[in-house]
Amino acid sequence: MGKVLLGRYIPGSSLVHRMDSRSKLILSFFFIVIIFLANNWESYLLLFIVTITSILTARVNFSFFIKGVRPLIWLILFTVLLQIFFSSGGTVFWKWGPFTLSYYGIVNGIYVFCRFVLIIFMSTLLTLTTAPLEIADALEKLMMPLKRIKVPVYEISLMLSIALRFVPTLMDETTKIMNAQRSRGVNFGEGNIMQQIKAVVPLLVPLFVSSFNRAEDLATAMEARGYHGGEGRTKYRVHYWEIRDTLGCTFFVVVFIILLFIRQW
Amino acid sequence: MVMGIIFKTVNYTYQPSTPFEQKALKNISVEIPTGSYTAVIGHTGSGKSTFLQHLNGLLRPSSGEIVIGKQIITPETKNKELGELRKHVGIVFQFPEAQLFEETVLKDIAFAPKNFGKNEEEATAIARQMARQVGLKEELLLKSPFELSGGQMRRVAIAGILAMEPEILVLDEPTAGLDPKGRLEMMEMFKELKEKQNLTVILVTHQMDDVANYADNVIVLENGRLIANGSPKKIFAQPKWLIEHHLALPKAGEFAVNFEKKTGYKFETLPLTESDLASQIVKMVHGGVQNG
Amino acid sequence: MVDMIEIKNLSFKYSQQDGQTFNDFNLKIKQGEWLAIIGHNGSGKSTLARLIDGLLAPSEGAIFIDGIKLTPENVWDVRSKIGMVFQNPDNQFVGANVEEDVAFGLENAAVSREQMLVRVKESLQRVNMWEFASHEPARLSGGQKQRVALAGVIALRPKIIILDEATSMLDPEGRKAVLDIIRELNHKEKLTVISITHDIDEASKAQRVVVLDDGKLIQDDKPEKVFSRGSDLVKIGLEPPFSEKLKGELESLGLVVPEDYLTEEGMINWLWELFSRQ
Repeated sequence: MGKVLLGRYIPGSSLVHRMDSRSKLILSFFFIVIIFLANNWESYLLLFIVTITSILTARVNFSFFIKGVRPLIWLILFTVLLQIFFSSGGTVFWKWGPFTLSYYGIVNGIYVFCRFVLIIFMSTLLTLTTAPLEIADALEKLMMPLKRIKVPVYEISLMLSIALRFVPTLMDETTKIMNAQRSRGVNFGEGNIMQQIKAVVPLLVPLFVSSFNRAEDLATAMEARGYHGGEGRTKYRVHYWEIRDTLGCTFFVVVFIILLFIRQW
Repeated sequence: MVMGIIFKTVNYTYQPSTPFEQKALKNISVEIPTGSYTAVIGHTGSGKSTFLQHLNGLLRPSSGEIVIGKQIITPETKNKELGELRKHVGIVFQFPEAQLFEETVLKDIAFAPKNFGKNEEEATAIARQMARQVGLKEELLLKSPFELSGGQMRRVAIAGILAMEPEILVLDEPTAGLDPKGRLEMMEMFKELKEKQNLTVILVTHQMDDVANYADNVIVLENGRLIANGSPKKIFAQPKWLIEHHLALPKAGEFAVNFEKKTGYKFETLPLTESDLASQIVKMVHGGVQNG
Repeated sequence: MVDMIEIKNLSFKYSQQDGQTFNDFNLKIKQGEWLAIIGHNGSGKSTLARLIDGLLAPSEGAIFIDGIKLTPENVWDVRSKIGMVFQNPDNQFVGANVEEDVAFGLENAAVSREQMLVRVKESLQRVNMWEFASHEPARLSGGQKQRVALAGVIALRPKIIILDEATSMLDPEGRKAVLDIIRELNHKEKLTVISITHDIDEASKAQRVVVLDDGKLIQDDKPEKVFSRGSDLVKIGLEPPFSEKLKGELESLGLVVPEDYLTEEGMINWLWELFSRQ
């Protein structure tokens, strides 16, 4: 019932959906890095065009992106205000104690706001179009070089994928336990801080107990199914790097080069 | 206190106006009489658990209204107004041992009464009484609930609900996972409790034998709709209808139907319980048999 | 017929418990046999299953699987002959979706990817779950999850299947679906089946029923012999079959009933005869 959108992945068949998770992950990181190169309105305009184009290509309802910004809105506003009042330069419009309202301050504030929005939009696009497991896979592939320095990449990725698989199960469990305790007179999310903390105990203890039981069961089942470490296992899931991934990467490299030209040096 | 339950064209939709919208209850209108033992049957996904969560306001209808005793629940009802209702409706969820959390059995049973305004002493007294009621031995009361066996944990959880002294007791497959002995003891215990304390019992179950043996009123749900409501006799009267809806007969009824098919003898009324079946058979043996 | 499993003088004790769970326990299970193990909760049934699969190690005695003595060195090889399905459908679903879960055991056994694709499809088709191949566990019912678990077992082509109360958390339809598959595996592929259960229908499908009580074997016989214990069965953790209960009711009403165990059909025949004589 009411299954939670894990990582808010929305299945689809758009070009973005079908891209390899590795290229999507790399490109998202790449894009977030180059956002910090933008420093004039032309460069921000370029990045916005790229972002909007990507979103349109993915054919995902735009409201999901607005929802992605909403929970962070206070953090964003706070940072923007810091920028506005504490950076100075250019024409000063207003001054009071340590606060200055200057031309540069305002411009910087707007830039910071744009940066936040771009980063949120792009990472939202990644999680909306890529199943969490695909992201875990991409991480495993990209971490492969770390195997040389004895990082247990296989184990980490199996752990990650099992953890992801159990998120909906635990969400379900949480709902069930909350229902049971509410029926016993617990009011979650009401009263003062102390009452709220007290209300969490009847939820957390059963949740821990059941998670440990599950973990024990799961370990037994895995052992019975012949799991004895990541070494020597074959892989059922494979990923293919296709022409669209190369094209996607090329597109972003071109964007990067244009950005280098139009940014202010 | 008289605590009948009336559903008036109740609808419930999960995650409305999202791509994940799901209608779980559709135009349910039904009455659960005070003092009845009502069984709710239906397949996985028929809306049973959604229905059940409406009984103490864990969910509020998306439209329509529910009257429970003096309380009326509509889509606009505030959470705060529901606290009083929860005192009167005890729900034993499936695998209720998952709700245990206190350091001792006694404290866990006393948890609900304390939440509903009893003081420490009163709550502990009720807890002791309820522990006895469900057959927990005195020496277990100061142990951690997590040290007990599965069956004992189940009893602690049930005692924890009974300690609320509800007028309406809702049981969601209370015997799932128990062995046959535990199952029988538990069902008998509920029956006794109902009679002693004059409870209204609502039992969600897959076991048609339990329906035949204990219930006097049956609600059948399918895909969120109410498809039948009445006495077990009435519900089980049409084996054909049952097959259409993938529902089973109680064992005794199934036996009787097979018997009639094979031999051509007819039972006066379709027996639903073993004792009914046996007495009809004995009657037929002694009184001569109508062949036809 | 050849013994598939032989348990010899087995003793076992959980480190955190006082008493012995098993003391000098012996049991033989033939190849292709369907054996039901019954007993009340805590009688040692699941412990026995875990010992056979090498998930627990006996403190004394030996277990032979397919003629090989189970040792810490060969446990992984021996285990590959055994497939287990556990009670809780959620807690044994490892993969992110159905096909990946079936593949999990194959990945562990280092089966090549081409082979895996074939076997995953084959086993999912056998349990009628192929159309759900890409479904996540959250979108499956308990019965469907157990069928997936069964497909995971079938894919590994074991010689023995152990059901550790695998149907106890399912609704009647889910239970029936699982048991139908098991019956087919037992009949057609001659797989040895051990089912640990409280369910009378499940036990009646076995060729042999072993009754455990506190780690002791108290009966080892054909199902009908075990079932003729009547109401005594409740004590050992099994619900009496319907025909036995009916017999009890009839007897209490003064009717003389046959002593031997009757199936439901046998019961109908007996009654029919009784009526005809009137």
